[in-house]
Amino acid sequence: MIEVRDLTKSYGQHKAIDRLNFSVNKGEVVGFLGPNGAGKTTTMKIITGFMAPSSGEVNVAGHDVFEDPVEVKKRIGYLPETPPVYGDMTVEEYLRFVANLKGVERARVPSLVARAIEKTSLGDVRRRLIQNLSKGFRQRVGISGALVSDPEILILDEPTVGLDPRQVAEIRALIKELAGHHTILLSTHILPEVQASCSRIIIINRGKIVAEDSLGGITQRMAGAGRVTIKVRRSPPSLAEGLSRLAGVRGVRASDASANGRGHGAIAALHSAFEIETDGGEDAVERIAAHVVGAGAGLVDLRSESADLENVFLQLTSSEEQQNQGVES
Amino acid sequence: MRGTLAIAGKDLRSLFYSPLFWVTAFLLTLIWSGMYHISLGEFAQRANMARMQMQGAEGGPNLHSEVFTRHVALVHFFMILAVAALTMRLFAEEKKQRTFDLLLTSPVTATQIVAGKFLAGLAAAWSLILLSLLYPLATMTIANFDWGPLAAAYIGLMLLVACYVAVGMFASSLTESAVLAVVMALIFSVGIWFVGALSDAVDSPAMVALFEHLSIGNHFSDFMRGGVGVASVVFFLSMIFLNCFLTQRVVESSRWR
Ligand SMILES: Nc1ncnc2c1ncn2[C@@H]1O[C@H](COP(=O)(O)OP(=O)(O)OP(=O)(O)O)[C@@H](O)[C@H]1O
Ligand SMILES: [Mg+2]
Repeated sequence: MIEVRDLTKSYGQHKAIDRLNFSVNKGEVVGFLGPNGAGKTTTMKIITGFMAPSSGEVNVAGHDVFEDPVEVKKRIGYLPETPPVYGDMTVEEYLRFVANLKGVERARVPSLVARAIEKTSLGDVRRRLIQNLSKGFRQRVGISGALVSDPEILILDEPTVGLDPRQVAEIRALIKELAGHHTILLSTHILPEVQASCSRIIIINRGKIVAEDSLGGITQRMAGAGRVTIKVRRSPPSLAEGLSRLAGVRGVRASDASANGRGHGAIAALHSAFEIETDGGEDAVERIAAHVVGAGAGLVDLRSESADLENVFLQLTSSEEQQNQGVES
Repeated sequence: MRGTLAIAGKDLRSLFYSPLFWVTAFLLTLIWSGMYHISLGEFAQRANMARMQMQGAEGGPNLHSEVFTRHVALVHFFMILAVAALTMRLFAEEKKQRTFDLLLTSPVTATQIVAGKFLAGLAAAWSLILLSLLYPLATMTIANFDWGPLAAAYIGLMLLVACYVAVGMFASSLTESAVLAVVMALIFSVGIWFVGALSDAVDSPAMVALFEHLSIGNHFSDFMRGGVGVASVVFFLSMIFLNCFLTQRVVESSRWR
């Protein structure tokens, strides 16, 4: 449905996105995940035809965005970062305007407006001026506007920003409900959001895709990784080396927790901490514990975490960052 | 077409719901009726005097040149200010409120957006002109006069005001700030009156002829004298087209930034 090929956008010297390649199939809900400034909004603006890329192609439902923008725009409902609402209109007037602007059949306008209002539970405020609505309601009016033309594709830029927890849950449920009928690309930097509503995740950092997988695939990828953090009172130089030779251990790193601890007093200064990457199995944890105790290092703390989405996200985005910094410097 | 009308309707509605339009209309009515009253009174006095002196001979002061021309000139002057105020928000506000995102991601072309906005501005401006037409219409109840020259003057006025709408819309498309838009619109609208003055500054006869043709004053005074010349109509229409075209380029180029 959406195909993005070698998409690049530079703002002057700065590359906001750098040769992105991905596609979204019909009926899929894809989460576009990345930290601030990753290039999510930029990518979405290009797909919707709001902005031209520096190079690359976008194909939506068989139409090229730059050669056939009107055809593409007919099929897309877009919620920008800031909901594009007119303060001097009522909710209903606004939705009617959007429906007309999107060129839906005149006869369908009233029913589509009613449907959009119902789906986003705006019934109580339908006759209120938008400028008098709270931020969360304005966000919902924005979502409603994206839905109102019943487009094949929905592109939602951080749809749940500014909503209260109950509304967040409602919108997530709504996205799930819309899933079969529409193709959805939504951006977020909140992980539970993708876990709640997306069938596939694209993680983007500094303008590059760092991971692209189904939710299950990413979870599985994480299942194959675990992390054990230990704190010891004495750390003979052989300790780290011994740890790294254990079966199931992938890497050992003296973590900076000890460095942080130094400021807190003499006792903390005596501790050293290690972060140990494992294959995620319990055997590895057992072997680590046995080794540390056997080495007489004075174990004071041992924590085992199975990596969750959050961790993978941090890992993927921060390692990329280090690489990039390495290249730049 | 539908997109154009939707945008025109939206902008017109927002103008008619804003105090800006009604305050402008109220103040203009106040000034116009005061001035019209004064010039009509003066005209009546002079007409009486002339009738006594000439004892029924033909001639005497002419209602069109003495009252209507002054009225149209006054309306024109205030319309420069009013149109700048009415058009300032057409694009600037959309950009500032980020609603421009909606227009640019909807299945409408830049041309349709510009056409819709121009129509909205034009409708608002012309409705003020129709308001000013009420005074000559009221005069009809107390005097007989030739409608031709008045109609010509009003056609000229409407074309000229349409130019100001296009100019104001162009100014608005250049910025996010409505204040800046109004300042630019005023400078552009007044500035185009001085293009004709350049004919004094050039030597070659061809250039003089060119600048004289580009002089808004020359074209507008044709209409004021009661003539509707094809050249003048074409001149105004091309001014309108030029400014709409420039606006369309600006809107289109916002994609490339
Ligand atoms: N108009 C602009 N001019 C210059 N640089 C820009 C512009 N818009 C975005 N950028 C840069 O492009 C990069 C990507 O920005 P973008 O808005 O796409 O990020 P994002 O992933 O949407 O972030 P967020 O999560 O904060 O919304 C950023 O480094 C940003 O500084
Ligand atoms: Mg963003």
